[in-house]
Amino acid sequence: MIFKFRYFLVFFFFSVLLSIYFLLPIGIIFADSGGVTLTVTISQNCGNGVAEGSEQCDGSDLAGATCVSRGFTGGTLSCNANCTFNTSSCTSAAPVTPSGGGGGGGGGGGGGVIIPSGTTVVFSGRAYPKSTVTILKDAQVAASTIAGVDSNFAITLSNLSAGNYIFSVYGEDKDGIRSSLFTFSVSVTAGVTTNVGGIFIAPTISVDKSEVKRGDDIAIFGQSASQSEITVMISSDEAYFAKVNADKDGVYLYNFDTSSLDYGNHNAKSKSALAGSISSFSNAVAFKIGTKNILDQKPVKKILKGDVIGDGRVNLIDFSIVAYWYNRANPPVKVDLNGDGKVDLIDFSIMAYYWTG
Amino acid sequence: MKRFIFLLFITYSLLYAVPALAAKLELVSSISEIGVGQEFQVDLILDAEGEDINAAQGKIIFSENLLELKNSNDGNSVITFWIQKPVYVEGKGIEFSGVIPGGFSGVLGPYYKGGKPGKILSLVLKTKNEGNGSVEIKDAKVLLNDGKGTEADAKISGLQFQVSNLIPSTKYQILDSKDTDPPELFTPEVSRDPNVFEGKWFLVFAAQDKVSGIDRYGEQETWSREPDRNKWQTVESPFVLKDQSRTSYIFVKAIDRAGNERIVVVTQKFAPWYKKPIVDMILTLVAFVVLILMARWLWRLYTKQH
Repeated sequence: MIFKFRYFLVFFFFSVLLSIYFLLPIGIIFADSGGVTLTVTISQNCGNGVAEGSEQCDGSDLAGATCVSRGFTGGTLSCNANCTFNTSSCTSAAPVTPSGGGGGGGGGGGGGVIIPSGTTVVFSGRAYPKSTVTILKDAQVAASTIAGVDSNFAITLSNLSAGNYIFSVYGEDKDGIRSSLFTFSVSVTAGVTTNVGGIFIAPTISVDKSEVKRGDDIAIFGQSASQSEITVMISSDEAYFAKVNADKDGVYLYNFDTSSLDYGNHNAKSKSALAGSISSFSNAVAFKIGTKNILDQKPVKKILKGDVIGDGRVNLIDFSIVAYWYNRANPPVKVDLNGDGKVDLIDFSIMAYYWTG
Repeated sequence: MKRFIFLLFITYSLLYAVPALAAKLELVSSISEIGVGQEFQVDLILDAEGEDINAAQGKIIFSENLLELKNSNDGNSVITFWIQKPVYVEGKGIEFSGVIPGGFSGVLGPYYKGGKPGKILSLVLKTKNEGNGSVEIKDAKVLLNDGKGTEADAKISGLQFQVSNLIPSTKYQILDSKDTDPPELFTPEVSRDPNVFEGKWFLVFAAQDKVSGIDRYGEQETWSREPDRNKWQTVESPFVLKDQSRTSYIFVKAIDRAGNERIVVVTQKFAPWYKKPIVDMILTLVAFVVLILMARWLWRLYTKQH
């Protein structure tokens, strides 16, 4: 009888093993360790001595903050070179745990809060209202999120190793047009949460005509952060600048009178400013001054340079196809991006510029 | 007076001259002299110097009668994708070329302002004989991230040092950072294109390792949900799939130079009928029902006999 009961136990054990095999997904989970928070702020105004925009401080301007207001009992608060608070001389450090309400006063966005985590990077900044924001980690898509109605977004990447990463961020506007890639390299420390703040995604830009009859208007439009101030630059022999405000949905439109432009090819680009922060310039959009008006095709349908397989993206697949033709004779036209009859470093550089991940 | 004004003008011109932007590609090491039989590290560094760089290539050569290459490491490199992975060829040196999609203008960090230079690769060299040694960069090109592949006006600098028996052997130590982290999570993709591999399905992959760098990749295509540890084959991206019907799971393993592994899977595009999720679920369910019935029957048998 005991022999038969053993059979039952073996059978039961086998069943449990089978259940584990079928129900558990394949994956490896790494434990997080507690850590501190470091901040990298991307700011074009840092160093001018005035704490503005997403800067916590700038030089001696601490924006009214003290060690006490940062959760310490005393000491001297100072400012790091990257316009973040230096609390190393503050005394009796008492880490503040985030509570439900958040907030905690204006400018700066609640830095200094210690959140238990592993090696993590938190990205935050401005995009376009309700737009999709995508983060590339070392040129491959790592995460995406939807920005709020106020255009602000935050994305967290966890379980990273310590080292230097190249991150890129882009936004996609309401018409599915992607912004230019905003790329930066960040040194990530083990066991630490690094906040990368102050990201301001460049506006998208389109024109209504690919060729404009000289003297007619060309509509230059796109999307950026809600209520931001847009500077449109039209490149010609001399550059023309114009300012226009985006509406609450971040949409802007500027009608440019082309009388002042010569016949030939021109391009336009735009950048955005809001609360002391300035974005980089958008991609340039080309148009021609001629003798007739030709409507521009929908920008979404345009094929990106470097998009070899034509899926609307420039990524590792396209890179691999071009790499296959590297230094080989008679490459196909679509992999020879500068049309010089060979695939060399220049073609890869062009592809890297148009990269979408 | 005229002379004074002229001198004043020259002085001001020199004081306020705007330094021209020029990226730097340089070999750096902590040594200026070293003993015979010792090892030392040389880093190839890219300093963007305010430029936006997205591609670099070159060749590193060294005095082979004085030095031998012990190790090269591209972990934590600013180069995201290698077109030509740095590999040493005797008599030819180490050729490399790679790209940085989106561009590189310096490494940002929380403890300093602006961007710091980034490492492209590191070499560990061992001295063999006495003499004046050098490590140099040849045929270097650094391209701007401007959509045209414009060549940057880059400053290229090599390394000179003396190898002597008079230098104590303990003077230079190479930092030995232990790599216990697996390569970063990565996402292989499957595609096909009439321009390559006769339009067959191929696999592309690229993993990163921030400490020792990626050593090699393994691949296997199987109907099983788990990879077989004995069936890995070493592959390079891009790789033409053996199973062109795409009914297999594709496992890709990235192995770093310290031997740490990361395995990822690409699921089947066209699962055979008996591998389709719904059939899989029904079979699993049936297996459980049978198991429960058998358990009940065995339990009844056991309790009856007691």
